[in-house]
Amino acid sequence: MRTRLGRLVVWGGLLLGATSLSAHHAFSAEFDITKPLELRGTLVKWEMINPHSWFHLDVTEADGTVVTWLVEGGSPNELIRQGVTMNTVPVETELIVDGYRSKDGTAKAVGRNFTLPDGQRLFLGGSANRISNER
Amino acid sequence: MTITQRSFVSIRVMALTITAIVVVGAVPVTGQESTYTAPRTPDGQPDLQGFWSNQTYTPLERPDGVTKEFYTAEEVAEIETGRTQGEVSQTTPGTIPDVHYDFTQFGLDRSQSGLTRSLRTSLIVDPPNGKLPPVTALAEQRAAEQRAARERMGGRWGAAEANELDDRCIIMIGAGPPMLNTGYNSNYQIVQAPGYVMILVEMVHDARIIPLDGRDHPSPKLRQWMGAPRGRWEGETLVVETSNFNGKNPFPNRSSVNAETGRIVPGSGDQMRVTERFTRVAEDQINYEFRVEDPETWARPWSAEMPMQKTNGPIFEHACHEGNYGLYNTLVGNRLEEAQAAAEVEAAGTDSR
Repeated sequence: MRTRLGRLVVWGGLLLGATSLSAHHAFSAEFDITKPLELRGTLVKWEMINPHSWFHLDVTEADGTVVTWLVEGGSPNELIRQGVTMNTVPVETELIVDGYRSKDGTAKAVGRNFTLPDGQRLFLGGSANRISNER
Repeated sequence: MTITQRSFVSIRVMALTITAIVVVGAVPVTGQESTYTAPRTPDGQPDLQGFWSNQTYTPLERPDGVTKEFYTAEEVAEIETGRTQGEVSQTTPGTIPDVHYDFTQFGLDRSQSGLTRSLRTSLIVDPPNGKLPPVTALAEQRAAEQRAARERMGGRWGAAEANELDDRCIIMIGAGPPMLNTGYNSNYQIVQAPGYVMILVEMVHDARIIPLDGRDHPSPKLRQWMGAPRGRWEGETLVVETSNFNGKNPFPNRSSVNAETGRIVPGSGDQMRVTERFTRVAEDQINYEFRVEDPETWARPWSAEMPMQKTNGPIFEHACHEGNYGLYNTLVGNRLEEAQAAAEVEAAGTDSR
């Protein structure tokens, strides 16, 4: 196991260099790459905290039971700087989340993509490309 | 969500985009002489106060194969476009980089949150080749001991103390000194009062309190994560000399691994001495220079330079411990993997009997 983890460290380091966006945490150590999932649920709480924000979603299972999932997102600071508040994404907002489940198999996941039911991405997405092209 | 609410989100998206354009577009280049004179605070200091960002694509060390000190503006634009497109491009499902939230959704990719622009090919200006000087044998030994200590704990995710200082919310590279950009949230607030300058570092909410009264450096017995700073004014320039580091926060390679190249490179020790120079060269820009002396780590001193660009505030408190569920989740994941590995060994032993 140690050898495999060692490879992950090196690979992660090289990819970090490729993107130069420093992840605060080693997400691949926290979440399971073999457990991709899609969650469709209703927002019951948004923890706008650091180092990463957490979305609490009530997800109705096939048998009708409701499970509250915790989904990890990014640091909220840049959104807050631009005026986004907790009210921007109110409780009861329906969200669809693509992500990966935590390694311990509990109802926790990292949110790779957050989208609204009509397919619109929750916040941004691709706008930086437009910035670059317009300059 | 109602239409009104959704429109509000969209408006915010537009606001973010427009703000980023303004910030990026307003950035002048470095390497130019400035005739600007900063306004004065009520007690007569050159006024550096406000919110500043050192977000940049410029690497600390000059990339291999690049031999000149400055790019052309066209080359910088091309590099920025490529880097920007790389940051916003979507990762491939089922790959390690994909196990992550989308930086662009949270406005955290560098170009979106605003860039400071420099034509320099590296932040390092001395040595002239733009590279860190050779490291000493002592530094190599120190780095080897640090890596060995981590391995004894089962690797980076084997124990809480083996995790990076960032993971543990103790200190991040933006705090320094020297202060390097952190990839996102690379923002600072400078506040001046008679006799003091305070620099609030967004990541992870550290405050550098710099006395200007000419007091001596503290006893060598006093060792701190960010050292002990002493400041003074030289004309328009704030000069800050910092010593008394605790040596637990190697600079610039926290875990003795260069994050940009993956190479094993020793970082600074507790004998590091940093001299920073802050000069306001325009209403919206501070030129930030620093010189690093650490004879136990590098064969010679080295220096770097980067712009700090005015940005908008406020800075939301980065109370890192508050929501640091990640450390717990990582350790739980590691314990689970250990249990699985042990079970596999047990099963293999049973089969062979």
